[in-house]
Amino acid sequence: MDATVGIPPAVTEETEAFWAAAKEGRLVVEGCSSCGAESFPPRGICRSCRARTPVPVEITGRGRVYSLTVNHQRWLPDLPVPYAVVLVEFPGHPGVRVAGRLRGCPPERAAIGMAVDIGFEPGPGGFAIPSFVAVSPADGAAA
Amino acid sequence: MRGTDLFERRAVISGIGQSAIGRRLGRSGLQLTIDAVLAAVEDAGLTLDDIDGLAMFPGGGAANLPGYANGNLYEVQDALRITTTWRQGLVEGMALPFYGPAQAVATGQARHVVIWRTVKEGSASRAAGGRPAYGSTKPVAEGPLAWLLPVGMLSPVCQVAPYAARYMHEYGVTREQLAWIPVTQRAHAARNPDAVYRSPLTVEEYLESRMISTPMCLYDCDVPVDGATAIVVSAAETAPDLRSPVRIEAMAGVVEGRPSWEQWEDMGRVGHGAARAMWARTDLRPGDVDVAQLYDGFTIEVVWWLEAMGFCEVGEAGAFVEGGKRIALGGDLPLNTWGGQLSGGRLHAAFGHTAEAVRQLRGETGDGQVAGAQVAAVTNVGGFEAGAALLTRW
Repeated sequence: MDATVGIPPAVTEETEAFWAAAKEGRLVVEGCSSCGAESFPPRGICRSCRARTPVPVEITGRGRVYSLTVNHQRWLPDLPVPYAVVLVEFPGHPGVRVAGRLRGCPPERAAIGMAVDIGFEPGPGGFAIPSFVAVSPADGAAA
Repeated sequence: MRGTDLFERRAVISGIGQSAIGRRLGRSGLQLTIDAVLAAVEDAGLTLDDIDGLAMFPGGGAANLPGYANGNLYEVQDALRITTTWRQGLVEGMALPFYGPAQAVATGQARHVVIWRTVKEGSASRAAGGRPAYGSTKPVAEGPLAWLLPVGMLSPVCQVAPYAARYMHEYGVTREQLAWIPVTQRAHAARNPDAVYRSPLTVEEYLESRMISTPMCLYDCDVPVDGATAIVVSAAETAPDLRSPVRIEAMAGVVEGRPSWEQWEDMGRVGHGAARAMWARTDLRPGDVDVAQLYDGFTIEVVWWLEAMGFCEVGEAGAFVEGGKRIALGGDLPLNTWGGQLSGGRLHAAFGHTAEAVRQLRGETGDGQVAGAQVAAVTNVGGFEAGAALLTRW
């Protein structure tokens, strides 16, 4: 499903690294150079120890769907529907939850707790947006 | 914290006023606002010359939806020739419509404050050919919206839906149970001539209605309307000058989680911080509440507040509302007796809820009256902006 119809993000000093990495297909959050905690969305400051020296840290592991919705409403002209949006958390990465589209299964198969791989796809305004990929149940159980 | 030294006990809600409310009224935001302000000031037993404080929600700069922000404070002040000693345009930290105005009158910064909320989202939805995307008034998604709109969470419906999904998953609550919230509120709207949807709604119609953003269907979403609500908040010492004031027994606005739709840690529990802080300021208990005006931008928000306020246990709202008896007029906890935003119209930010609470405590609601109502609960939104209050009869 085409995800390019929509409203693009404003890019800021804090979010530039995220959107640049997204274009390369990489999920980058802020890692604290002082205490090691991870923060997302990026605020330019560690949400744990408040040190202001974050460095980009890539998350590569498989995620789990914390919650989701399948949107059926055409909020914008030509918006293709329905599509699933998932909120994904990552084992071993407390403080990181990322909203993104879901691919790899029909929207109605989206479920809380399902395993997803990190991915991106073309979004509005030429940005690459988070777009997680459903892991088949067999693979997910093995993960 | 209990007792008469609470600042909110030095404030009263003295007047409420509303413009016409409808799906499309064809009138300017300024005229709707003036209608509501004049009605509220008269309702308080005051004149415009008594008013020395003005406030609006949101402030003029905040408009993420077409038709969202109307009744510019400067224009209203100019039109009504009001001299002010205190003003406020609000988004963050409003908690409740009367929260900031109560602070102002309790600290002597003003004696009589008018606050209003004017929406023209009914007209805007019609003009857009349907309910428009949040953020569609701007070319790019800024601030918190930068993480939501680009991935397709294009409306508050999509942003709140994951809370409903998570809640239903954790506690095994069903759509068949939650349907009783909009269905019962529709029955209440039938008794309110100002409500926009008054024809009966059944659980079957709810279950068959089109899905907007799962698990939320059409009837889980409030109704965009045109309309203005104004509320007058006065210093308690002016009570002898007032027609029919209502007391603010206790109120609180606490945000205890991440102030963000998608980052809120526990989506099954919302509003508990505000409710807990509010109950710490009063000797009244949940069982003392005669009528509840709980914010209902969406059905799930009522669930949050039923549980956060302690009207039922966490995870038990489905059983609490099922069948509708408890939350109907004549039940243990009559809920959103004007129809709420789901049927009465999206007057937003608990302005409609506050107006109804005041009417109930005064005994002015006609067919929808809860006999002898002494204590009313009012709550607002939940999550990154949350407020809870008890209002009591004078």
